[in-house]
Amino acid sequence: MDYQIEEEAGFVVEDVSKIIKESVEATIGGNAYQHNRVNQWTTSIVEQCLSQLSKLGKPYKYILTCVIMQKNGAGMQTASTCFWDNSTDGSCAVRWENKSVYCIVSVFGLAI
Amino acid sequence: MFGWGNCWSVPVCLHGICPGILFSMIMSFSSISTVSYIDELGHHDDNARLAPTMENTYQMGPYKRFPANAATDILKDVLTSYLQEEKYEVEWSQKMTKTLCEVIRARVKELMIPRYKIVILVHIGQLTGQSMQISSRCLWDTSNDTFASHFFKNSSLFGVASVYAIYFE
Repeated sequence: MDYQIEEEAGFVVEDVSKIIKESVEATIGGNAYQHNRVNQWTTSIVEQCLSQLSKLGKPYKYILTCVIMQKNGAGMQTASTCFWDNSTDGSCAVRWENKSVYCIVSVFGLAI
Repeated sequence: MFGWGNCWSVPVCLHGICPGILFSMIMSFSSISTVSYIDELGHHDDNARLAPTMENTYQMGPYKRFPANAATDILKDVLTSYLQEEKYEVEWSQKMTKTLCEVIRARVKELMIPRYKIVILVHIGQLTGQSMQISSRCLWDTSNDTFASHFFKNSSLFGVASVYAIYFE
């Protein structure tokens, strides 16, 4: 049988959002949108976040999505819905922008 | 963000524009970042500890795997039927992303695959010649978990829908 560890508080949004913000800043920082580097940026943001999240050591599976968009006056909407256990699972979305780039990172954490 | 309730199924919330959502904005001299999440999470700590402890079923793996092909067909079908002749408009697309999410979730649930948790993501955007990149990575069990996604485009908008299916051990 599983035993409950008292320190765990489920999906902690603050920790996760901090990890995401640091990772986005470190990767894109003050850069302008460059089409040939965007692939590398998304991969690096997502992989960095994932490795930091796995270091948290929680019994969670994670799904991370990163959208990087050039600022061109275009509009975009994103929505998500989940069929999961409200008491243990959670999600966090971080929207980041600078002068030429929009970046949206969503993390979903599902308890094992 | 998502509406929270006391049941398994969660209503849809649109990113960034929903009542009751806490926003924290941090401005630095060249970039802005916003975090969106549900405020109520702070008051629901009891819920986390009261999560039902399931009895061990001694089941080693899923009896029925999640059919990624069927999911892709559902996504293709829903995106094409809802977005085929439409033009991008802000109000309409806000409602449409939510609607699409709910429709896709209902149809995936109809597949009745037991012990799988579902996450659905829908993006609708305007086509104005801008460039963008969407990528995702997951930390999961590759033998049991899977995903499906589909991209749709017409003359004024594009839509991307993804379904992730996670096995609940």
